[in-house]
Amino acid sequence: MTAAGRKVAVVGMGGAFPGCNGPADFSNKLFSNKSLIREWDKAIAFGKNIRSSVSGYITEAEMGLDVIYSPLAEDYPETYIDTLGRIPDTNLATADIGSIWAMLGALDSIKMAGWTAGETQSENTGVIVGSGGAGHAILRPAWHNFFELGKKTRMAGSHTVDRAMVYRDAANVSCLIKNKGVCESIGSACATGLGNIGYAYRLIKFGLQDRVIAGGVEGTSLETFIGFDAMQVLSRGFSPEESSRPFDVSRNGFVCSFGGGMVALEEYDLAKARGAKVLAVIDEYFNNSDGDGDMFYPSFAGQQRLWKGLLGDKGLKPDVVKMHGTSTPAGDAVEFLSVVDALGEDGYHMSAPKSQFGHMLGGAGAVEFITALLMLEKQMVLPCLNSVQLNPELESFQKTDKWHGPVKPLDAYRHLVPQKAFAKEINRVACLNYGFGGTNSAMMISRDL
Amino acid sequence: MERQEIIDGIVEILKTVRTINPDKLVGITEETDFIKDLETPSTEMINIAAKAEQKFGVEFEDDDIDGLGSKVKDIVDLIIRVKERG
Repeated sequence: MTAAGRKVAVVGMGGAFPGCNGPADFSNKLFSNKSLIREWDKAIAFGKNIRSSVSGYITEAEMGLDVIYSPLAEDYPETYIDTLGRIPDTNLATADIGSIWAMLGALDSIKMAGWTAGETQSENTGVIVGSGGAGHAILRPAWHNFFELGKKTRMAGSHTVDRAMVYRDAANVSCLIKNKGVCESIGSACATGLGNIGYAYRLIKFGLQDRVIAGGVEGTSLETFIGFDAMQVLSRGFSPEESSRPFDVSRNGFVCSFGGGMVALEEYDLAKARGAKVLAVIDEYFNNSDGDGDMFYPSFAGQQRLWKGLLGDKGLKPDVVKMHGTSTPAGDAVEFLSVVDALGEDGYHMSAPKSQFGHMLGGAGAVEFITALLMLEKQMVLPCLNSVQLNPELESFQKTDKWHGPVKPLDAYRHLVPQKAFAKEINRVACLNYGFGGTNSAMMISRDL
Repeated sequence: MERQEIIDGIVEILKTVRTINPDKLVGITEETDFIKDLETPSTEMINIAAKAEQKFGVEFEDDDIDGLGSKVKDIVDLIIRVKERG
């Protein structure tokens, strides 16, 4: 399938990160072992009707944005203002908050990549961006005004569709940067971020595009949050900074967070020819499905096949595995043991960025991909914060006859799981993300030496 | 309600539409064309009409909006016509 000789380089990045003033601040906080998770006033306001109240959320003000509410439709954001003048009002008019983050991340990525206007607006430049949810924060007040308050449809104006449609993030980025190539969104639940980057990688690798702006976002939305809260799958009972605790024996759920990650991908030889700084080279992308008919429960066999597809016969082994590591009881244990099964008991480390900022859903894979780029750049491993005690006992599924994976408890692999960031030589990072529906995604990236 | 009073009210509405360049709002007349002269995105016309309903205390019928022209005088005429209609 691949076009001979084509490699893919990562040449730019940007995004939206909870409580951070840009990518540099994000990087500094992560490598300082800080948590970006906070009590969320908007959740607390609903008292006992909401179970979890911690999140890595991002406010409009933190992104330099103001919201203008409609005088015609109650609680309906008519449009946003970019107080820093980065995005024209015409583009803001068609964007929900996640799309604005995607546009800001795209601009930062292009700036870092150093693409000219001609390159950006080329037929060979694509945009591949997705999010996990719909434009819930736009849809809810629009629908409320019509169905509950009995107002005419036009009272919500004419931008409910473009600000809520499935590929709104990609559409808004494309209208902003005026590329003439592919513009699409990939949706794969919590694997969306990595899935979009993976699809973008293939477009270049297969010779269909030379450059792609790619990523995933999940705009701050209590509407999104409460869906997961209802499932009883969110972390509860810990302080905010201790709430996300991948692989720790006392973990009881994930922290629902929000954010966005965007990257600029370019065919390697083209990037090198114009002297671009290559942040990483993408070695491989592989994705598959569990195929066991289970919407939610992770599949060890599915992840075994994922690793087989990722590693192939190239003999590549990562120095760090950027884990999906959500902090849910079942997901973490299966993932952990599938990594040990694939890579052995030594020679690499596991990093779980969700321990520091929670689970950004459709944005997770892309923001965590950026953390992998940062690990390559800093030559430091990000930690599994709060992984204080790994289970010294076998997981219940390890005790069944059906189990064909590692037969030691998680605590036997304590040496693979750092609780603090630390320096080491990192030449290759594997990135893992999974989503509801049994979808699995994996990418291997290398330092450009 | 005088026609100029309606035009002034429409200008106030247009000031809230951020996709219209405020510099173009100086010297608006009844002949000013929303699309051609003000470069108003066509998707904003329904927002302007809805805000006009609120500001002038009228309710347009779907046929009124479907047949609305793109000049300032068209919406002034419509507001007066709907007010007379009661």
